Amino acid sequence: MDGTGLSLGRGRNAALSNPWVLLTVGLVGIAAAYPSWTDAYSLSVIRDALIFALLALSLDYLWGKAGILSFGHAAFFGIGAYSMAIFGPKIDSANAALVGLLAGMGIAGAVALVIGYFLIFGGVRGAYLTIVTLAISLVAQHIAIGWSQVTGGDSGLIGAPPPGIEIFGFSYVMLDPVHQYYLILAVTAIALLAIWFACSGHYGRVLAAIQDNELRARTLGYNTSLHLLIVFVVSAMLAAVAGGLYDITSGYVAPDLIGLFMSTEIIVWVAVGGRGTLIGPIIGAFVVIRLQQEVSSVSYKLWPMFIGAFFVAMVFLFPNGLLPLLRRIPRIVASRLQRARKAE
Amino acid sequence: METIVPLVLNALTLISIFMIVGLGLAIIFGLMNVINLAHGEFVTIGAFTLSFVQAMGGNYWMALLLAPFVGAAVGFALERLIVQHLYTRPMATILATWGVSLMIQQVLQIVFGSGPQQASGPIEGSVEFLGTSYPAYRLLLISFAAAIIAGVVFIFRKTRFGLDLRAVIQNRDMAEAQGINTRRVYTIAFCGAAAIAAIAGVLIAPLTKVIALMGASYLAPSFFVVIVGGAGSIAGVAAGSAVVGGLETVLNYQVPVTVSQAVVLVAAVVIVRFKPRGLIPA
Repeated sequence: MDGTGLSLGRGRNAALSNPWVLLTVGLVGIAAAYPSWTDAYSLSVIRDALIFALLALSLDYLWGKAGILSFGHAAFFGIGAYSMAIFGPKIDSANAALVGLLAGMGIAGAVALVIGYFLIFGGVRGAYLTIVTLAISLVAQHIAIGWSQVTGGDSGLIGAPPPGIEIFGFSYVMLDPVHQYYLILAVTAIALLAIWFACSGHYGRVLAAIQDNELRARTLGYNTSLHLLIVFVVSAMLAAVAGGLYDITSGYVAPDLIGLFMSTEIIVWVAVGGRGTLIGPIIGAFVVIRLQQEVSSVSYKLWPMFIGAFFVAMVFLFPNGLLPLLRRIPRIVASRLQRARKAE
Repeated sequence: METIVPLVLNALTLISIFMIVGLGLAIIFGLMNVINLAHGEFVTIGAFTLSFVQAMGGNYWMALLLAPFVGAAVGFALERLIVQHLYTRPMATILATWGVSLMIQQVLQIVFGSGPQQASGPIEGSVEFLGTSYPAYRLLLISFAAAIIAGVVFIFRKTRFGLDLRAVIQNRDMAEAQGINTRRVYTIAFCGAAAIAAIAGVLIAPLTKVIALMGASYLAPSFFVVIVGGAGSIAGVAAGSAVVGGLETVLNYQVPVTVSQAVVLVAAVVIVRFKPRGLIPA
């Protein structure tokens, strides 16, 4: 492990002195205060970025914590979004969005469970596994385009239920965009905290051990295949939650949400932020989406080119991501200063 | 009989396409443990070579001769500039070749536009074959694919380079100790794989829509072929192509294309569960 971020081997006591925790608290604070000084459009931009940040987080749990690189996360995101758009409007109750969300999580989880079971218990690891996830994305996009009676084909689907709940006669429907924004911020923050908390203790070390040397972890008595399968399924379900939230707030789904290029972008968000750091990919999503708007405003054809060049550059120049690189700067400066002082 | 013969021939067409696309992939994967996500772009480059040559007034056969050199040149650049430095980092190779794949797609789109390119085969019409009428070009494609496979088998089995190649696949360090220049073998094999994929692109182009993004639709099936069949052996590629291509063709008669692709994915995944090293491992 590279030891960056909300990482293993530090224990929970060190949490408060960890700069990543302070960063996280600060960011959540800024995000919570954001609606008080901004207009509706900027808020919707940040809201979408938060949803994609949640998606990046789901991939980081799989790639950063369990070492499985997936080109299939857009498929799970798409399953969540399409489930919401297909099932949600059919239900005439305040619970519609909840049903859509659960349907999406269920379908994404089931797909991940079936594919994951056969592959992971079949001993498929590393690059092979990545290739199959690539195929999941391709097939999912073909289904989204081809099965047009249900998915709307190339034009996608319009319409989504507003988030709400109806239980024991109590009914609440959330229509205010600012409230929806807070809902998404809360879901993202809770997901981040839950994964970070789970991975900061024993469980995180087991995953790190599997990533480090799976044979050794198995010899020590851990059911490594089961661990990897659980991470795969949970991560897919989290991606489906992000997809469902996307449909709720934006009101439409289209096949480009589910394709291979979308999967590539998710990988970029995680890679920029530094995989395994959890908060890094969230920041990465914000930074990259902002950059994408700038580059695409010059020419939309430049963006894929940019991403391609980024991958090549990353592999050679900053294999651990851009943000961990920035984090090393203070340390480098400090050691330079120390050396200078010694020289005096 | 009237339905069986076209079915078998359709299956053979698809199997041939998968075999020649998957062959290069399997060789470099079995040989160097490199997963080349830019492999689909070699197919695209071959197809674009055909439409470019035809747009310049040349004919199909000139493109078929030219394409392997174009493919090999791009393959050489990719191997020397990027892949060679990443042999010990498989995940990094995946990301880097994926980046190259995106860049090639965009360059082609910027140079040639995003609309479909014109490409036509050397022969038109149908011929009578075993009592049914079948498009002549598809028969040509099947025979070309068979010739290419035979050529590769010959190189593998009967030449000095093939011997070196098989030695490196079996044990790289030992091959090096025997005085084989493994780095040279890698480079030649990579260029050869790219050249074969480019020829495949020329063969496929008249049957499909030639666009800059076409590579992705061949990349995933050919990886299935390699995973199902087993990497590093020609027999494995043949077995994988037969299973994937045959299944997809038969299913396409019964169910919509989208369903058949999903079924092929599931079938491949299930086969991998019970044969993790492929049907015919190297």
